[in-house]
Order: sequence, then C-alpha cells, then structure tokens
Amino acid sequence: MARRYDSSTTTFSPEGRLHQVEYAIEAINNAGTSVGILAKNGVVMASEKKITSGLLAQARTSEKTYKLCAHAACSVAGLTADANILIDQARLRAARYAYQYQEPIPIENLVEHVCNYKQAYTQYGGLRPFGVAFLFAGYDEAHGFQLYQSDPSGNYSGWKATVIGANNQAGKSLLKTEYGVSKKDGDGDEMKTDDAPLSDVIEMPDVAEACRLAVKVLNKTMDGAVASAEKLELFTMSLDEAGNCVHKILTEAEAKAVIAEVDAEAASAGDT
Amino acid sequence: MDTVFGISYDGGVVLATDQVNARSILMYQQNLDKIAELSSHSAMGVSGPNCDLVNFSEYISKNLKLYELSNDGAKLSTHAQANFCRGELAKALRKGPFQVNVILGGYDEKAPTGGSLYVMDYLGSCTKAKFGAQGYASNFCLSIMDRDWGEGMDEDMAVKLVEKCIRELEMRFLINQKNFIIKVIDKEGVRTLKYGADPADN
Amino acid sequence: MFGSSLVIGDDILDIGSHKFDAGRTDQRAIGSGAMIPARLALGEPGQFDVPDVPDPAHFCRNNFASACGNGDQGQSVKFAKGTTTLAFKFDGGIIVSVDSRSTMGAYIASGTVKKVIEINPFLLGTMAGGAADCSFWERNLGTQCRMYELRNKKRITVAAASKLLANTMNSYRGYGLSMGTMITGWDGTGPQLYYVDNDGTRLHGRYFSVGSGSTYAYGVLDTYYRTDLTVDEAIDLGKRAIYHACHRDAMSGSINNLYHVTRDGWVKIHAIDVNDMHYEYLEEKRNAMASS
Repeated sequence: MARRYDSSTTTFSPEGRLHQVEYAIEAINNAGTSVGILAKNGVVMASEKKITSGLLAQARTSEKTYKLCAHAACSVAGLTADANILIDQARLRAARYAYQYQEPIPIENLVEHVCNYKQAYTQYGGLRPFGVAFLFAGYDEAHGFQLYQSDPSGNYSGWKATVIGANNQAGKSLLKTEYGVSKKDGDGDEMKTDDAPLSDVIEMPDVAEACRLAVKVLNKTMDGAVASAEKLELFTMSLDEAGNCVHKILTEAEAKAVIAEVDAEAASAGDT
Repeated sequence: MDTVFGISYDGGVVLATDQVNARSILMYQQNLDKIAELSSHSAMGVSGPNCDLVNFSEYISKNLKLYELSNDGAKLSTHAQANFCRGELAKALRKGPFQVNVILGGYDEKAPTGGSLYVMDYLGSCTKAKFGAQGYASNFCLSIMDRDWGEGMDEDMAVKLVEKCIRELEMRFLINQKNFIIKVIDKEGVRTLKYGADPADN
Repeated sequence: MFGSSLVIGDDILDIGSHKFDAGRTDQRAIGSGAMIPARLALGEPGQFDVPDVPDPAHFCRNNFASACGNGDQGQSVKFAKGTTTLAFKFDGGIIVSVDSRSTMGAYIASGTVKKVIEINPFLLGTMAGGAADCSFWERNLGTQCRMYELRNKKRITVAAASKLLANTMNSYRGYGLSMGTMITGWDGTGPQLYYVDNDGTRLHGRYFSVGSGSTYAYGVLDTYYRTDLTVDEAIDLGKRAIYHACHRDAMSGSINNLYHVTRDGWVKIHAIDVNDMHYEYLEEKRNAMASS
C-alpha cells in the first residue's frame, strides 16, 4: 500500500509527504557537487565533472555551468536533460523580461520563475518532478551580486556560500568555518539586517579567494579523489571597468593554477 | 482636443494637462484629472477619449502595482515603466487600440538628473525627451519649450515654462481650455502643484 | 413588430463613428421603386400601429431598415433618435427627471415609455439611446448588483454598480450598442450620480443630461442649478428643464416622469404631461408679466 503514494507525484502520503518529490531531492544528493560562493566583487561557482568514460568527447565549453542572460548564470546538479528544459525556460523568461521592460531582469524574479515552473511539476497530475538542483549566480542594480540555490520541489533560497549535490553536508560545514567571518563577533551565520553592503558586515573573500575556497570544498566533497583541473569546472562572474557583467569559465591552465595555490596553502599550513 | 505637457528639470519632472472632458459639441466636465499616478515616483498625462483614458491608465497603474507586490516591493525604473506602457500600446494596436497619447514622467534615484520623461503615441512609438507636448497644443507650445528649456532648470523654472505654454493656449487656441492641472514628480514623490478646478469636487 | 424595435436615440451626440448615413442612402435607392397604396393589407386601421405615411414599407426601409431584417449592411443598429433625460444631486438628495417619447424617425412610436429604470430600491438608471439596450443591460446590472448583495452581505455602492455597467459596455465596444445612462442612488458615501455610455465612458458628477434634448436641458440646468435647492425647488427645476427641452426638441415630449432619491431609496414624485405644463407655465408667465 505504501507504493500507492509513490506512483503519483500529486498525492500526499498519510504522513503528509510527497514521496516522489523527496526521491528527486535525494537523487540530487548523489549528483556531481556544485559549490557557490558570493565574493565581494563577484560570484564563484565550481562544479565537479563526473568523467564516465575516457572515450567520451570533452564538451567544448562547459557542461555544468550555463549562461542565462548577460547578468545571470546557473550551475546544475542532477539530470542534465531535465536541466536543459529549465534553462530554456530561464533564458526565455530573461529575454521576455528584457523585451517587455528594456532592462535586465532582477535575479530573484528569474529564479522565482524557474522555481514556479518546477513547482508545477510537483502538483499537476501524471508528471514527475524535475530532477535538478541549481545554483544561480547573478547581478542586478538593486541587490548587486547574488547567489541562490533551488531544489526539485521548487524551493529556493539566497546564500552567501552553499553546496549542492553529493556530500553537500561536508561541503557546507567547511564553508561555515572558512567563509566570511563576521566583522562583529566571528560568527559566519551573521544575518544581514540593514541595507549596509554584505561586505561591511562580514569579511567577504574576493573572487580569487572565493575560487580557492571553492576548490577546497570540492577537494573535501570528492571523496578520496583530489580535485584535478579536468574534473572541475570553475566559473566566475564579475564586473569590468565599464560595469558590464563578465562571465568566465576558467581554462584548464587557469584551474590548474588555482588548484596549485590551494595545495601550496595546505602544505604551508602543515596540512597534508 | 486634449493638451498634455511634460517638462523635465534638474531633480524631477513637471506634468500638466487640461481638465476638459468633452465629446461632440458638449462639454461634460471641467475638473478632470488626466494625470494618472502610476507608482510613488511616476505619473503619466494621458489624452484621448475618456473611456480609453480611464481604462489605459487603470490598466497600467494596476499592473505596475502588481509588479511591486510580486517582486517584494521592488519598483520598476521609469525607463522600464515607459517600455512596458509602450509595449501594451503596441500589443493593443492590432486588436482594438487604446486611443491614447501619453507623456510619462518619473523620478529615479539612479538617473543622472533624477527626472526622466517619455513621450508615447497610441501607435506604440516611444521616445525619451527633455520636454514634450501632445494634442493641438504642441503646435503652439513646442516652440516655446524649444526657446526656453535649458539644462539645469529647477522646478520653479519648469513650472513657469508650463504656465507660459498655458497662457499661449489661452491667447491663440480656438478651444476653450479653462482649467489645467499641474503635477510635479521629484524625490519626494508625486504631488499636485495646482489645478483650475478640484478633480474631487463633484 | 414596432414595439420590439423601439429606439430612443441620442443621435445629436453621435460623433460620426456609425456608418449611419452611408447605409441610409443605399436603402433609399432600393426602396424607391416600391410604392404601395396607404394602409393596404394592414388590417383594420387602429388595430395595428403603422407609420401614418403614404408608403409605410418605404418609410421603414429608409428610417429603420435594420428592423425589416434586410438591407442593413453597414448600418448600425441605431436608427431612430430623440430623448431628454437629466439627473442632479443637491442637498436634499438626487432628482431624476425624464421625458417619455419614443420616436422612429419622424414617427412617434410611443408617448408612455418609462425611461427611468428601477434597478433596485436604491438604484435608478435612465434610458437614452436604444431602449432595448438600456433596459436589457440595466436589468443585467440589477442581477449583478443582487449577486453582489448575496455574496458580500451588503448593498453595492453606486460607484461599483456604475463601474460594472461601464465594464460591460467596454467589453461590447464596437458591437453597436447604444446607451447613454445615468446611474444614481444613495449608498454609504451619500447620494451618488454617474454617467455611463455605450463607448465605455463613466463619469462622476453633480449633474448630467443625456439625449437629443440634453443641450436644452443643460441650458436651464446650468443657469438655475444650485446645491442648496430645497426639495420643492429641485423638483421644479427637474420638471422645467425637461419641459423646456421637450418644447424645443421635436424628438422629446409627452410625459415627464420625475423621481427623488433619498437616504431611504427612491420615490416617484410625479408623471405630468408636458403639454399641460406648457399652459401652466404660460399662465404663470402671463400673471408675472401682468403683476410687474
């Protein structure tokens, strides 16, 4: 009888749960890890690429990080095929917004739209939820650089630094100790209460520091294996002198350099 | 038959319209307010048949309100509001147009001089302008604005310029537009500066 | 047949959006050949109302062709005209005063039309334009208002009721409806008066007049209207304004129906023949002249 509540996404179990949605969320927890870190002058997202076969042709540009519009990008954990549908939706939404208002879409608006789309699949009959979690990185005039994460249920939340995918708990606990120590009392969980920039409240890393922290986190989450340049995708978003948003996926050489820095740091700290 | 003015200055914009509501040979009202307040810091002067005027300004202002409610209180910039308006005019054009011409003004914290002004017609064209006039009045008043408008004007000078235009209409324009309403939009928001007859008085 | 096609128009205020004249010329060309002897095969005279003209069929085609069911391409539904209605607010409430003539071209189709529509005990509407359109849509408004009462357990405001009607008119814009009406009543905000017409206009005001005779009524109203009129003075103003409009406007006349709206709803004050008024006022004027 318990199976009864497994087959349909739209039916609550007697315990008040939606099993299919929970399974989808669970599936994400086994997917390749993605780390997102808000820096004071940008956002960094790093993802683990699972290499399934040496024969597979390498994706020419990126396989985990997608540009949504000039000022937003996302990183995927979960089923890439499902993600492609949602990414299309996000790109469409961003473009339609720009068409209607002739001005870039606020990041939260974009995230909310994608999440509403995801939510619909947890409610309307006969469909399975999207097996995708996202990290969204973006910039807008009103709130500057932002980082959001979303899960298959359609929930989303804004973060200073977060991890999705396999071993995300371990990743998060590392971030908690290493990211943005508060200028006030040393607690990384400091809530931002007023309109003061986040960087005034806590010690925020710059993009380079954030990159290193992201690699550190991936080192920890990729159990046993050390993060190598071909196994991770490092993405940064920042502003150029003209105030335009710059998206960048680090080349293998650049990624290698970051990894080397992290290794050097670890060695000098006496940590193997 | 309607007259709409808009003039931007350093720190805001002034909008003005006549207050006549007439059809055929009959004047129904002389205390109409044709300047719709769209959000805390923007408004538009609308000309056209009363029904279109009311419908269009209600449609736009309620949609902008909806945007604010569904985006956590975030307001659209004047630029975005103008483009939204323009889009709706263009969308309606091929299926029962709103017969309205619009001058939309607003104040943005981030805009270089604070105030910005957009001139639109019912076909859906939209241009950013320093000043503008619509209706027959444009025949008389654009020249005055060309002559007198300058960078760095303050509110007082902008209002005086509007009043100059109104005086010219009194002198040269065949149609009797006895009353005008003038609104100012600056960092404090939208306020009614003066009117010929109180719109609430009926 | 004629009863069902009764129309009281406001053609004088037509801004030319209807293809009225173009349609008409065509009809004339078609009908010009058919000359039928007067009152041929139309039953006993007096049993069946027919325009008293040499050729009723030709007359009908020319003046209200669409009622004949053919040859009305390009002609809007509106084909006859003439009415005077007015309403004004004052300190003692609202006066609604109307004539009762219904014309089809030069033909007086009825002299006993009820142009004040009693929507409910607190709401009145007036009729100008298409009689059927007015009565139908104002009855429709009545049901909407009743639904509002049932849903919200309170009476609808005049503002909301008039907006419902305006919204209806808006959704039928371009469908050829013809309606110029004033919606009046007393609600929580006091006495209220709105003008609503078929192109969706909705105005709030102190006084309005609608119909072909409205310009004449406005003349009297603009000159003698005050807010501090007593009830008797107000009734007299409403009556006179209609009388003078009926005197000058050929399409208005017959009976003057007058209503007074108060806090407790509306009351019908009188129904007086404007013809009687004419002699009453003439007498009054003579006496005044004589005494001065």
